[in-house]
Amino acid sequence: MKPEINIALMNAAQEILSRFSPLIEDEYEQSRLNSWGALILISAMKFNESYSSLVEENKEIIIWLIKTKQIFSTELLKEIDQIKAEEGLEQSILDEKNQLLRAILVKAHKEVDSTDDVEAKRGCLKLLREMHSHRKVSDLLGLLQQADS
Amino acid sequence: MESNNDLSSKFISYYSKFTNKEFSLMSFERVFGGASRETFRIHVKDKTGSEEKLILRRTQESSLIETSQITEYLAYSAYQGTSVPVPAMIDINEDEEILGAPFMLMQKLDGMSASPFTPSAYSPHEEKLGLQFWSILGDIARKDINDDFINQFENKNEDPCWKVELDKWVNVIKEDSISIEPILEAGIRKLYESPPKEPHKKSLVHGDYRNGNFLFKENKITGILDWEMAHIGDPLEDLGWALSPIWSWQDHETPAYLIGRQEALSLWESSSGLTIDNNDLKWWELFACVKGMAIWISAGNEFKTGKNVDPINLFSPWIPGDIHLEIILNTLEGDLS
Repeated sequence: MKPEINIALMNAAQEILSRFSPLIEDEYEQSRLNSWGALILISAMKFNESYSSLVEENKEIIIWLIKTKQIFSTELLKEIDQIKAEEGLEQSILDEKNQLLRAILVKAHKEVDSTDDVEAKRGCLKLLREMHSHRKVSDLLGLLQQADS
Repeated sequence: MESNNDLSSKFISYYSKFTNKEFSLMSFERVFGGASRETFRIHVKDKTGSEEKLILRRTQESSLIETSQITEYLAYSAYQGTSVPVPAMIDINEDEEILGAPFMLMQKLDGMSASPFTPSAYSPHEEKLGLQFWSILGDIARKDINDDFINQFENKNEDPCWKVELDKWVNVIKEDSISIEPILEAGIRKLYESPPKEPHKKSLVHGDYRNGNFLFKENKITGILDWEMAHIGDPLEDLGWALSPIWSWQDHETPAYLIGRQEALSLWESSSGLTIDNNDLKWWELFACVKGMAIWISAGNEFKTGKNVDPINLFSPWIPGDIHLEIILNTLEGDLS
């Protein structure tokens, strides 16, 4: 079996940070290279999850929209009814679909916020929290600092 | 690509002519970070052996924040000789022929800056630096905006301060977004729905007052830098920005990794002579996240379109962008509970 892409990226980042960067005397160029090393490290850590996170996010948005259907306007319901749950999509198509779903979600959130339905409001924020946790890389900040030092 | 050598030769020729003295170069180094202008640390000496340390700020064709250098120059000029430490300005030049782009030249101040993402950056001087940091921000707010320099800032818009700023940054988001962000959209909606009151007194707002944008030498703040987003507005705007948890992400109890929030607010009130309305401050703290997102989105757009592939333009939407979304989400959840 070939070494995985994320392993290759991780090694590249380590070589940049520990092997090549110390050879550079110019402070600006060294800092710039260190930043690239750190960003490649983040890419390596998140590489394997990027597809599955997108699949999961799309699924969660669809489930919430359908579950909360009774609150929405007729116009929004028409948009929701056109959503199809598809499997095995290429990443780029999955991404396009994600943007479509996010656009619908923005409208849905606005409609939920205009009601007094606290549970629906909570449900929407819970969904946003889930979506954010799939994508965020800020939890790697500590790791970046270690890499930098 | 232009090398540092080309630029340094051009610089020494310009500076010798400007001062009518013959200078030779001791060092010429680009400073990493702060993608709004290219910044260079320069050390020169004249024939008598007298040395000068300078900072050159050159406009970038494509930058993280599109701003006019005159804004920065006027702000620095307004606080010369006051309790707000700023470098002495030497020249501002719009002629692109001299150094390849418009530039500003100033004296280099003593001291170092730190990353806003390093919790221990100010140890062991957090307390003393904190007292100065929040008092100086109050001093900025206290200054009369009829000052000869400050009254050259645009101040004709009749919309309330909050609306001028919010509209401006929401437009940046609309123009530069490469992805739909439901959390950000909810934050923007919240801001338009519950605006703050107009301030009793408008001030010069620094626009990017935070840890990382000041110089310090041991326990003394020696310079307040990066005024390129300065404008006339609500003094609470700077306070909301400086207090944002993004600048103390690993220790939310200690804004800017200096001193506690309540002490910081008391210091600010005391030096500015202003009273904080907590609801209005809360609005400006949420606004800080939206403004931050606009800046990070703009950086991401520069990177994705290949206009400027400086790694800071990739780092910005990835890390600070994530953090600001999380703060918006925390705020929305907090309001509902």
